[in-house]
Amino acid sequence: MSEQISGEPDKESGRGILQDVGAGVFLILISLFFLWQAWDLPRGSLRAMGAGMLPMSIAVILGAGGVLLVIMSLVKGGERLTTPHVRGLFFVLGGLILFGLTVRWLGLIVAGPLSMMFASFATADVRPVEAAIFAVVMTAFCIGLFKFLLGLPIPIITFI
Amino acid sequence: MKKLLVAVAGLTALFAGPALAQNYPTEPVTMIVPFAAGGPTDIIARLVAEPMSRFLGQQIIIENVAGAGGTTGITRGAEAQPNGYTIMMGHMGTHGAAPALYPNLKYNPAADFAPIGVAAGTPIIIVGSKKVPAEDLQGFIAWAKKQGDKANHAHAGVGSVSHSTGILLNSMLGIKSTYIPYTGTGPALNDMLSGQVDYMTDQIVNLVGQINAGAVKAFAIATPKRSPALPNLPTTKEAGLGGYEVSAWNAVFAPKGTPQAIVDKLSDALSKALDDANARKRLDDLGAVIPEGAERGSAALQKLVVSEVARWTPVLKEAMAAQKK
Amino acid sequence: MDIFSNLAMGFGVAFTLQNLFLCFLGCMIGTLVGVLPGVGPVATIAMLLPITFGLDPTGALIMLAGIYYGAQYGGSTTAILVNIPGEATAVVTTLDGHQMAKQGRAGVALGVAALGSFFAGCVATIFIAALGAPLTRFAQLFGPAEYFSLMVMGLVFSTVLARGSILKALLMVFLGLLLATVGTDLETGQERVTLGIQQLSDGVDFAPLAMGIFGFAEIIRNLENPEARDVVRSKIGNLLPNWSEIKQSIKPVLRGTAIGSILGILPGNGAVLGPFASYAMEKKLAKDPSRFGKGAIEGVAGPESANNAGAQTAFIPLLTLGIPPNAVMALMVGAMTIHGIIPGPQVMTKNPELFWGMIASMWIGNAMLVIINLPLVGIWVKLLKVPYRLMFPAILIFCSIGIYSINNSIQDVYFTAFFALVGYIMIKLGFEPAPMLLGFVLGKLMEEKLRQALILSRGSFTTFIERPVSATLLAVALIMLVIALLPAMSKKRDQAFQE
Repeated sequence: MSEQISGEPDKESGRGILQDVGAGVFLILISLFFLWQAWDLPRGSLRAMGAGMLPMSIAVILGAGGVLLVIMSLVKGGERLTTPHVRGLFFVLGGLILFGLTVRWLGLIVAGPLSMMFASFATADVRPVEAAIFAVVMTAFCIGLFKFLLGLPIPIITFI
Repeated sequence: MKKLLVAVAGLTALFAGPALAQNYPTEPVTMIVPFAAGGPTDIIARLVAEPMSRFLGQQIIIENVAGAGGTTGITRGAEAQPNGYTIMMGHMGTHGAAPALYPNLKYNPAADFAPIGVAAGTPIIIVGSKKVPAEDLQGFIAWAKKQGDKANHAHAGVGSVSHSTGILLNSMLGIKSTYIPYTGTGPALNDMLSGQVDYMTDQIVNLVGQINAGAVKAFAIATPKRSPALPNLPTTKEAGLGGYEVSAWNAVFAPKGTPQAIVDKLSDALSKALDDANARKRLDDLGAVIPEGAERGSAALQKLVVSEVARWTPVLKEAMAAQKK
Repeated sequence: MDIFSNLAMGFGVAFTLQNLFLCFLGCMIGTLVGVLPGVGPVATIAMLLPITFGLDPTGALIMLAGIYYGAQYGGSTTAILVNIPGEATAVVTTLDGHQMAKQGRAGVALGVAALGSFFAGCVATIFIAALGAPLTRFAQLFGPAEYFSLMVMGLVFSTVLARGSILKALLMVFLGLLLATVGTDLETGQERVTLGIQQLSDGVDFAPLAMGIFGFAEIIRNLENPEARDVVRSKIGNLLPNWSEIKQSIKPVLRGTAIGSILGILPGNGAVLGPFASYAMEKKLAKDPSRFGKGAIEGVAGPESANNAGAQTAFIPLLTLGIPPNAVMALMVGAMTIHGIIPGPQVMTKNPELFWGMIASMWIGNAMLVIINLPLVGIWVKLLKVPYRLMFPAILIFCSIGIYSINNSIQDVYFTAFFALVGYIMIKLGFEPAPMLLGFVLGKLMEEKLRQALILSRGSFTTFIERPVSATLLAVALIMLVIALLPAMSKKRDQAFQE
């Protein structure tokens, strides 16, 4: 269950940031963000809770947990962070955002192939022609399914 | 080339404008319903949209855009092209209570719309748990006044119809009950059946089943006339609380700037739809109140919006300020 | 016996050609839409509700019930195949179901899910028919205080979901709780942590969160390790569970059915706890708990049965009291009202054909699901053979359309992208998303019930101990917590001795 903690502490010794240090900092940042956002809300008392009571107290617990993670990790060591897959992040998230930008503006007929084509480049073994054909076929299928079979009010063509 | 384009654009605009209004509608009309499918407003919208489509000769497509007490969908509707192809179903909350509840509201209910007409309203009923020792409205009022903050008043969430109408009731009666917030009528009713909360106000659709089964006590219906769905239930006026007449009205709006000819056409279609025998029957079954005669049309709706905003704003603002302390 | 004559009448109603067809159609459409990544039952029904409006009331409800089961089951299929839960109850299925798929046992996982669900559905149908009315009184015992205590118990379950560090899993639960506080304050209507974004005033939506954190983060992770995802393609084992696997699943299915049926009756979405409770129980009872999270078949069989049983018994409060216990049932109410049937305690006596017809159609719907889905298992598993370079853009487009269609909102698509980023960061940091989603789902209910209970008791915390049901639940939670922490402590002790 807890191999990660109880396993040999230095199994991936080397350079880079300790994973749990990163994890702790991540939680501390989230905690600080919520504390900042909920600061002005009335906290009330335990008898009559205000809107800010729960966000504040949970954020404090989370932040404390983050500190604990950092300390434990520095004491015991552990796994290191690996480099992020920037290419995947960029093209997959970019595909989603492109879909959002174009679906109401131009319609699914553009948003579908565009976002799929863009996302295809997230992997190195992309084959552009294949991806393009696939994107067009899938979009046609989706239009048939969602618009005509299910009657959802999704815009198909809005630029004519 | 550029000049030509401008000229063409100008010409099309010149011809397209009036042509559009005359032939309207030439493609399906989208009606934004600012609540999820299946709620009272959605049901009324669908019941009215069906005959309206027939009279317009084009289908009305319902698009549910839920969120923030309906203001998300109405905001989108208000910002849509005013060409008659996007209309929306507003209601008491979005066009009456919202200015008081949402300080960042992006539209003005009375100024940013071309009102088309009231569709139908659902009356509000005052109900209590079986544990409340009262059999009629006066008995209930006396009991609630005596209880002070010991009475538990349930509502279905800030911004809901039951919340606004409940606050109005309490403020009119000067009752200081403790509010118990729920996230919908269902959970609130559940706790009322088991006697944990004492009373609430809500739309007839949500309550009629429980009232007929005797699971809750109904004290009065806040309409001028008794409802055929509950013929034995006195109106608030009959029971001695004449000022408390509220209904969760629903009404069709177009964005501001929609050509008058189109507004008139829609208004006419809506009115005809309300006279459609099938739609009437279904609305009656729901206990809904259909506007008649002078209550229909753009002017009546505009008047209603202005008076509703004026009615809800002070009451709700005061109540919300008291809670935030 | 009354039940039998009633059920006979019900089957009479449901077995007309038209109603059978509608039931089949509903199950089919429900499965196909529900199988879209991230689109769970609520979203599916919300999307498809309008197509039932043209039918007669009984037919419409039968079809809708079919859509519901189909969507529920379709959601599990996606959870197993691509690790995207369509709703909270499918989160647990991702844990071992997707692991099984990665080991080439997707067919087995889907088969066990289908058979377990069918069994649970049969039992739950009889349960509703026989005990529906008296059980509503049990549900009435649950006020806000009891609910809160039940949710506390649910949070204790969540620690069992952890595959790695318990501390990190606990912190994820708290992160989920924290996310659940985003939105309009229940009591005062003040906006909390919404950053002025209108969409957030109703809180963070489950679909973009789950789709982003599970689905898209997983896609990016798969793109990062090409070897890991090709494993899925290379080995396609049995399409259906073999006898020893079925034998292994029988007890979990029985226990899951019992847990799910009981939790499903509770008004206010008790059903959501069913799969978690079942998973926790199986892991505790297992001889070798370390298999869980690595493709243990019990971890699919139990929760899936609990899921389906709960999905079914959740109809009880609606049918007998007219009170919808969750979002799906609220949609059912809408469907009933548009057909002129006002739900309430009298539906049973006033519209007996509808009431018993619907119960009978539940059973038929479950049978249809097996008929539809067992052949589909082959197709789904073949889908895994599609090269990943084509698979993930396809998932992307389905997700995008699905997420957009739920609320016709492009913001939801952007939220999904944002949560995908967060989810990927979390994977890198060694966090698991399942406990976070549980915390998120329970958090909303928990805060609501906590504050209601405290207002009702005028601020006295003793209300949780004074009320017997609530006190019992808290005691169970406490005992479970101690049991959960004991092995961890003994392990630490061992460690201390070693050092």
